[in-house]
Amino acid sequence: MLLNRDDWYQTSRDLDWTLSYVDHEVAFPAEWGGTDGIPAEAWEGWDEPFRVSYRDYVRVQREKEAGVKAVSNALTRAGVYEKLDHAHVAASHLHMGTTCMVEHMAVTMQSRFCRFAPTPRWRNLGVFGMLDETRHTQLDMRFSHDLLKHDPRFDWTQKAFHTNEWGVLAVKNFFDDVMLNADCVEAALATSLTVEHGFTNVQFVALAADAMAAGDINWSNLLSSIQTDEARHAQQGFPTLQVLIEHDPQRAQKALDVAFWRSTRLFQTLTGPAMDYYTPLDQRKMSFKEFMLEWVVNHHERILEDYGLKKPWYWDQFLYSLENGHHAMHIGTWYWRPTLFWNPNAGVSKDEREWLNEKYPTWEDNWGVLWDEIIKNVNDDCIEETLPDTLPALCNLTQLPLGSAMSRHDLEPHQLVYKGRLYSFDSEISQWCFEQDPERYAGHESFVDRFISGKILPADLAGGLMYMGITPDVMGEDAYQYEWAKDYASTDA
Amino acid sequence: MAPFPITGRFVGDFVPHLVEVDTDDTMDQVGKKVARFSVGHRIPKPKNLAGYDVFLGDVLLSASTTFAEVMAENTILPLQWFDVRFRSPEPADA
Repeated sequence: MLLNRDDWYQTSRDLDWTLSYVDHEVAFPAEWGGTDGIPAEAWEGWDEPFRVSYRDYVRVQREKEAGVKAVSNALTRAGVYEKLDHAHVAASHLHMGTTCMVEHMAVTMQSRFCRFAPTPRWRNLGVFGMLDETRHTQLDMRFSHDLLKHDPRFDWTQKAFHTNEWGVLAVKNFFDDVMLNADCVEAALATSLTVEHGFTNVQFVALAADAMAAGDINWSNLLSSIQTDEARHAQQGFPTLQVLIEHDPQRAQKALDVAFWRSTRLFQTLTGPAMDYYTPLDQRKMSFKEFMLEWVVNHHERILEDYGLKKPWYWDQFLYSLENGHHAMHIGTWYWRPTLFWNPNAGVSKDEREWLNEKYPTWEDNWGVLWDEIIKNVNDDCIEETLPDTLPALCNLTQLPLGSAMSRHDLEPHQLVYKGRLYSFDSEISQWCFEQDPERYAGHESFVDRFISGKILPADLAGGLMYMGITPDVMGEDAYQYEWAKDYASTDA
Repeated sequence: MAPFPITGRFVGDFVPHLVEVDTDDTMDQVGKKVARFSVGHRIPKPKNLAGYDVFLGDVLLSASTTFAEVMAENTILPLQWFDVRFRSPEPADA
């Protein structure tokens, strides 16, 4: 008689060996597991609610795969992609180029859980996480490969992380740190709990809704399918946090506070512009700030409260940053558009501007006045004045421009000297993150550091573009060839 | 005479830039080098431009002081932050 799952599940997921020919500390080094200061028996309490068996996993994943491919095949035949809004398409270029290889990095992180996590339950769940992330990588690659014939920018799905494009360097810097460099415990808190359980809702739920509204059913369907996996394997974060809270709450607080800010800055870059500027106005569901408040802020507050942790010391600054950070990243990426591998939409026509002012009451004074000068130059046919001829100063933690975390009125120097070198930060918070563990971040060279140390030659914008791997066929330009600025032409005259 | 990289912020713009100055540059020249990446690009140029003031921290640097002289009197590392404003009796915050 075939046993019911409940009869064998507990045994199968708890299966472990009593090591006899190698010390436990050698097989499971504390620096890989992140188990310093946590007694071994503490991990016996590690538990998660999904209770997945391999048989169940394969059955469900097969159904998901069949669903995604059926939709994808039908829509490819129907030629839906050719009818999509140009600005929305830019969001998919941005997503694929900056996300696909993060999924692939996550395979490595999950495989570390499989091997080095301090409990067999966690190692068991890590196997499914590893398979999930392999699937996500392949889904992105398949989606992009199908569309390569329409646009060479989809090549960046695979190529981006093999270049030195500045935005990709920022993404890679963060995930190198929290996926590839972190021990199991920190990776679970930073990646599983903070990024996957919190922030990916913005990218995979909110953006999926926007994509569906924009008629991009194929991409929307792919994002939603990926999110069902994320919701499961993200569960590795909660029991890990529970164990750490009981034995080292300070470490838990610090790891979450650092990861939450770094994630915020990243999603202000990747998702904020796509939601508030690239998604066609009549298809927007909510603003980026509203999505963040509903899906990330409430969620994170609840976790902190449930586990007896404090809000980060920078909470008020974080909320203020939600009013500004992604607007800064948007005007910055649009202005430095030759350094992108997608075509950013300015998104500041009069109607769009009205929406921005309604959603963000300080937008006009903080950002609108800067756009006014850009608009004037566009309508005076001085496009060269809307293009960069140097680099923005960059943060040595986030690798993002200084000034891109708050508004222009709040911009002030955050610099410190560490071992004789001057480091710059986009905010007091990023400087604080650096100060928590300077050796972790100090050796890295930002794009600006590489420029002034002679690694980028010729030392001009052309040399920078070459170093980034930007080629003319993908180099970013205004998604609508400045059509939106005509709105203002009569008032300029 | 040597090139030196600074972080130059034109006050009112949202982002500071990587700016290459020369140690022989006067602060007048440094101000122009910083301003040229912001003024006329995102910051409107005033009708009667009287020049630019350069600040190290809160200290206004004399227009004729050279960058080398500033370096001699202060610890200046690569990417040191300098602020630049429009020069006027009442500096306008753009």
